[in-house]
Amino acid sequence: MNTTPRLLNRIVLAVVGLMALAVGASGLLLLALPSAASWWRDVAPRIGDAIDGLRTGTTLGEQSDTMLWTSVAAVLLLLIVLLVLWIAAQGKGRTGVFAAVGRSGPPGQRDGVDEATPGSVTITAAAAEQALKAALLERSDLAGASVSTWEVRGVPGLRVRVYPRKGVPPYAVAAEVSRLVEALDTVTGYRTPVLINISSGARARLTRAERVS
Amino acid sequence: MSPDQLDRSTPEATSRFVRRELHSSRAVASVVTGVLLISGCLLLLFEAVLRAVGDEPFLLDVEAAVALLGRLPDGVPPSLLVAASLLLLAVGAVLVLLAVLPGRRARYAVPNERAAVVVDAEVVASSLARRARVAAGVAPEQVLVTVGRRTVRVQVRPTSGVPVDADAVRAAVADDLGRLGVEPAPRITVLVADTGVVGQ
Repeated sequence: MNTTPRLLNRIVLAVVGLMALAVGASGLLLLALPSAASWWRDVAPRIGDAIDGLRTGTTLGEQSDTMLWTSVAAVLLLLIVLLVLWIAAQGKGRTGVFAAVGRSGPPGQRDGVDEATPGSVTITAAAAEQALKAALLERSDLAGASVSTWEVRGVPGLRVRVYPRKGVPPYAVAAEVSRLVEALDTVTGYRTPVLINISSGARARLTRAERVS
Repeated sequence: MSPDQLDRSTPEATSRFVRRELHSSRAVASVVTGVLLISGCLLLLFEAVLRAVGDEPFLLDVEAAVALLGRLPDGVPPSLLVAASLLLLAVGAVLVLLAVLPGRRARYAVPNERAAVVVDAEVVASSLARRARVAAGVAPEQVLVTVGRRTVRVQVRPTSGVPVDADAVRAAVADDLGRLGVEPAPRITVLVADTGVVGQ
């Protein structure tokens, strides 16, 4: 439910991977093919001359090629900033507000409000999460449960993760959890998007199977 | 749903959840790649700044390294060049595969009226194993269930002298899968071992 940029991830991985493949392949080619080696022997000095030309062109008076190194540093710094932003974009999207009406709500979520009425009501994400979690943890066929709130296209949505004990039929868990979610709908007055994730965590794996059902 | 509830849930949102839950986001690979690239860039940045202020190089003399690249394949032992190239090829192949492969997770999407429901394959397998065990009348250790996206394989080792009804096991497993409602319904294979195990 998070806003991880999945397409960007794949594009960047593909670009980096293709670059690594190209460098690795050319390294092997230089060794294996004499013609490739002689071609590189031809081309490399010309690239070196071009760099030297650039260096003399950007050196002013008494300086010793300071400008070139500074611009290389600037480009690297920009690249680092972009990479940090890319890493920071992974797994974003949690929100602390389940629902807000009235003047305190963010503009997109002021639904069903009489704007003339003073005051506002906010249901924090923690309230909805704890209500649902408390109801889930009462059940003996679940080894654990966690609930978190994520902003999905401007709308808060709940992610319910339950860890049933070994052998508990998932359809029963799904039916029971969705019944609890419907109860939460009635309590809060919002029918929010919900994702129910029935998973096998380490805790569920290690605890004993339920003998009596 | 009663009319005074505000509906914020849409079928599109639900199918989007399911689609995203069934496939890997490649977040781990991205973070690892990003951290490695950042460390490389930081080293180069440091060396560039040292050169800019006219200091001695710290770890890597960039100019000498570039000159070495220009002289390849001379100046470097061939074994080292081969090893480095192969390493780069392997890393590149892994990254390209990560980018291109769908990255399906071992999970099933289950139809549900209210929410998007995603079940780990392991949970399905353990539920099926329980049903199969009860139908076959054997101990938990005698049943092994393997689930794939399109196939379910149930292996039963009967208790010595007590025959196992493979059809009953198949019916029980099919019933459990049917209640879950996984689409498309996986093919069920029940294998009863020829040799039994002694008294469980």
